[in-house]
Amino acid sequence: MRFRISLLLFVMAGLVVAFAPLPVPAIAPQERTFQIDAHQFAYSPSELKVNEGDTVIIQLVSSDVVHGIYVDGYDISVEADPGQSAILTFVADKPGSFRFRCNVTCGAMHPFMIGKLTVGPNNWLYRSIGLAALAVLGVTVSRKQKV
Amino acid sequence: MNRSELISRFLIVTGILLSVGAPLFLWARTPLIHARMAEDGGWNPDIIQAEVGKPLHLKITSDDVVHGFAVGQMEMQSVDVLPGKVTDITLNFDKPGIYTFFCTRWCGLNHWRMRGTIEVSGSSSDPEPASSLLYVSLDLDLDAPHDAPVVPNGKPSATNGQLLETNLPIDLSAEYYRSHSPYQVFNELSATTLTESQRWDVVAYLWQTNTTSTSLVNGNQLYAQNCAACHGENGAGDGVFADDLAAAGESSMQTMEGAMDMVMQSPVNFTDPRRMLGASPALLQGKILRGGMGTGMPMWGSIFTEEQIWDLVAYIYSFQFEY
Repeated sequence: MRFRISLLLFVMAGLVVAFAPLPVPAIAPQERTFQIDAHQFAYSPSELKVNEGDTVIIQLVSSDVVHGIYVDGYDISVEADPGQSAILTFVADKPGSFRFRCNVTCGAMHPFMIGKLTVGPNNWLYRSIGLAALAVLGVTVSRKQKV
Repeated sequence: MNRSELISRFLIVTGILLSVGAPLFLWARTPLIHARMAEDGGWNPDIIQAEVGKPLHLKITSDDVVHGFAVGQMEMQSVDVLPGKVTDITLNFDKPGIYTFFCTRWCGLNHWRMRGTIEVSGSSSDPEPASSLLYVSLDLDLDAPHDAPVVPNGKPSATNGQLLETNLPIDLSAEYYRSHSPYQVFNELSATTLTESQRWDVVAYLWQTNTTSTSLVNGNQLYAQNCAACHGENGAGDGVFADDLAAAGESSMQTMEGAMDMVMQSPVNFTDPRRMLGASPALLQGKILRGGMGTGMPMWGSIFTEEQIWDLVAYIYSFQFEY
């Protein structure tokens, strides 16, 4: 009986960790400007981190051939020739991690020209750490009860 | 199988072959032009034959990155040449001669070397006399240093100059503007009672009166597409290729004096008043048209029309004057 109750408790705790809505952090949305240098076959910087609700301004500067940037999930893109930098402006209203990639065939390694846009904190990472800790705790507790 | 069935089978097969094969055959007859980065060979073939009055069909594809195609000194929209896709284009030539076609999308440091020629044969009904270019008739030495000995403290303002100009005996004609450097005009105004900064303002006004807003817009567009990658979007000589050019060291172009003069490879800074105010529009026309100067500056004479070069010259001066 005690085993059943503790099992139920652990399952409940797990559900809370996985799905409980987090308190929205009170960070005022701001404007973030990134200058991304695009060259064969990388972006620098290739990882962008913003908060949800921020206005993101990406200035894309190509320094060898024509490159572009396409942000997965947001479905927006821009193309820049060397000498003609292009600006992509959008509001990061979707939380999560998104891949961005070059949308202009820029040479043999073009498919590998990618980067990452992270919007908001990585909640799934923290949730999965919490779940893993809970599982470890659960195993230790159940072992002690059997003994 | 009876006779009529055999005939109908034969007819169907020939019909299908003809309807599919004939267009395919015609399409295959126009040769495919391959575009590659200049380092890997550029256009292949890079010499195309054509005839006056006969439309020239071309099929172009790219083997590496995004390229573009346009013919110099012709009214045409440039087309993009994408890897893995075939671009069809039809050109019509009114006059015989040798035309230059070139890449219009930046495809690397040596993008501008990606050029080829179209040799158009045929007889022209009215051969035009070759007009003499201003820098030639003025007998300007394009390679001589031309720094202005005196420069203004700030950007001269054309608005201030307009107020001062009214009672001055100054020649506002295009001929005068084109054949004189800002410094020369400044120097000629030394007989007047104006202060130095006022004289520079009058010079700015003279430049403004010879510049229309359309030519500035055209010049800006041409500059962004063709010059900014080396000379920088703001004209400061700091374009994305400036470091690469400096690292490349010697230009591969040859001068009459030999390779010793070829260390200067960095693009010119158009915001430097010493250099710009000492150069007349005619001198800049010559430099754009011929290129060289012991640097990697391309030769634009076969690509830009004379009007386009004047637009570019007008735009380049806008880095110096407050219009």
